[in-house]
Amino acid sequence: MKKKSFKITDTYILLIILVVLVAFFSLVNRQFIAYNNISTMLKNMVLTGVLALGLTPLMIARGLDISFGNSISLTSVIMAVLYTVFGLNLWLTLLIGILVAALIGFINGLLIEKFNLIPIILTLGTMAILQALALVTANTFTQTYSILMLTDQLYYFSTRTFLKIPLPLYVLIVLIFIFWFVLTKTKFGRTIYLIGANPKVAYLCGVKVKKVKILLYIFMGFITGIGGVLSVALTGVGASYQGAKLVLPTLSAVLLGGISLMGGSGSALGTLIGVLIVTVIFNGLSVLNVPSYYIQLFQGIALILIVAAYEIRNKKIQII
Amino acid sequence: MNDQKRNDFLNAINPFNKNSMTPTLLIVYALMILIFSLINPLFISLANIKSIVANLTISGIMAVGLTTVILTGNFDISVGSILGVSAIVCAKLYNIGDTYIPLPVVILAGIAVGAAIGAINGFLVTVVGINSIITTLGTLAVFRGLAYLYGTETAQIYYKPYVFMGRGYVFKHVPLTLIYFIVILVLMYVVLRFTKFGRNVYQVGANLQAARLAGVSIKKTTFYTFIISGITAGIGGILLSSQLSFAQGVFGLGYEFKILAICVLGGISLAGGRGTLVGIIVATFILGSISNGLALSKVPIEWRDAFEGIILIIAIMVDSIRISRRALLRA
Repeated sequence: MKKKSFKITDTYILLIILVVLVAFFSLVNRQFIAYNNISTMLKNMVLTGVLALGLTPLMIARGLDISFGNSISLTSVIMAVLYTVFGLNLWLTLLIGILVAALIGFINGLLIEKFNLIPIILTLGTMAILQALALVTANTFTQTYSILMLTDQLYYFSTRTFLKIPLPLYVLIVLIFIFWFVLTKTKFGRTIYLIGANPKVAYLCGVKVKKVKILLYIFMGFITGIGGVLSVALTGVGASYQGAKLVLPTLSAVLLGGISLMGGSGSALGTLIGVLIVTVIFNGLSVLNVPSYYIQLFQGIALILIVAAYEIRNKKIQII
Repeated sequence: MNDQKRNDFLNAINPFNKNSMTPTLLIVYALMILIFSLINPLFISLANIKSIVANLTISGIMAVGLTTVILTGNFDISVGSILGVSAIVCAKLYNIGDTYIPLPVVILAGIAVGAAIGAINGFLVTVVGINSIITTLGTLAVFRGLAYLYGTETAQIYYKPYVFMGRGYVFKHVPLTLIYFIVILVLMYVVLRFTKFGRNVYQVGANLQAARLAGVSIKKTTFYTFIISGITAGIGGILLSSQLSFAQGVFGLGYEFKILAICVLGGISLAGGRGTLVGIIVATFILGSISNGLALSKVPIEWRDAFEGIILIIAIMVDSIRISRRALLRA
């Protein structure tokens, strides 16, 4: 009984932080709570949110992927090239983009699990390769590094609202529901937590640990592909160097949401709150006209502070 | 008994024992030189070899520092950002109005910046207890941001002796930087091989529990390795700004792949506790020659990072196969 109430306070603390931050920024600058700013902010949140959700089950199962940012760069460039240079059908283009990203996830997962590699080091390597592929693809086909990809359908999707809520946000809402359902209500979800809590026990229980983890990597790739589609839809550009900026905010959001690097803990809702807080902080900073160099600085500091806070708290629990 | 001891010692310093990657690396390097020089004979011209050697020593020096961190089972991926900050600090010191700052002070400042950032990393990893990769991912962003902030405009360096430090040659053909590299390498080799601190570094990486039981101060040892890595990255910043005679915020961007690749390729196991600096020399030459060779073979510049990524991946796969083979042998 007592344990349960403790868990609830953890989420509450994050919620309180969120409310305080919103109150602070809206007091400093009235623009912050204007409908326009909130809707832009939420639209910008979609990309981080989707990626953070994809990372959630992966990191619960002790996996990690930091190449997703560059994977987004590559897929958005591929989609833009296929659409504008080769004149392919839009839906086919988007499908190919998502499949390419899923394939990248599969390769990551296969290498990590078959060779027992450290996930972050391998994906550091794939990061460099994907970035180069994105730059080369963009440069060979169009001689530029960011390719315009303007379509009526994607423009409609990214600018219209339904019930005053921007359409892209519905993608996030649907995904949050799916992830929450799978992680809490299904056997597969429990398996993921089991792998994260203790891979050896999971293996002895008859769980095909490697297969499940490769599946999660493919799934992360698939989500990254959706992220690529969203990024093209929101910006109208297949940019070969934009994706890499997504890694730090997403990782901070996921860790803030209560996912431990040791695996086994975290939830879809926690991740959502983490994403909200990170988005509010960075949007708030840009509303306050903080230069972008400072924002990168804050991202790093935020990441360290978040993990440090959790680490210190964990130590206290151990001592008690 | 005495024979055994002597054999162990000879094995330890012999780069050609059966556990070493060095012979394989030498063959790879020979093949690489052959291919690149067949594509473009300029590759083996004296001028080009001189420029390759002068360039690669910076990453070599940083790899020596990073090696100590990896030997304890940790990572430091902020080295590129440390290089950027230290380069900018040194260049800015030459741009403060009319004040003249003597050369040793500037060098010390660059090294101190590296050591300070290394100490921050070490503090976060050992005292606060954060995973080293996440810590240095954070500090990577923080110090890259700082470097951009203070390096928005190029800081020129006109002071001749400072520039000579990185560009100079002794005996006409030997770059000064090569001598720094060799000195630092030999120094660290001796420290790792023959001092108590060096033993502790290996012990902490090989078996944390045993190290603790043996009374090794794990936190202190780890903390010092981060400072060493910071110092070597600081030296890298000094040398890079002196070679180019200016500094910018982008200095060292993406170095983390290269340096990490050198270490893993040189046989420093990511599991910690295994590997010597001997392999680092060959690995440094391989990675240092690749970008030059690719440029001379007219490969587009975008591919350069990709090759470093590919080498990193191949190296960690080989490392992982070696780890699992050792585990099998032990069982």
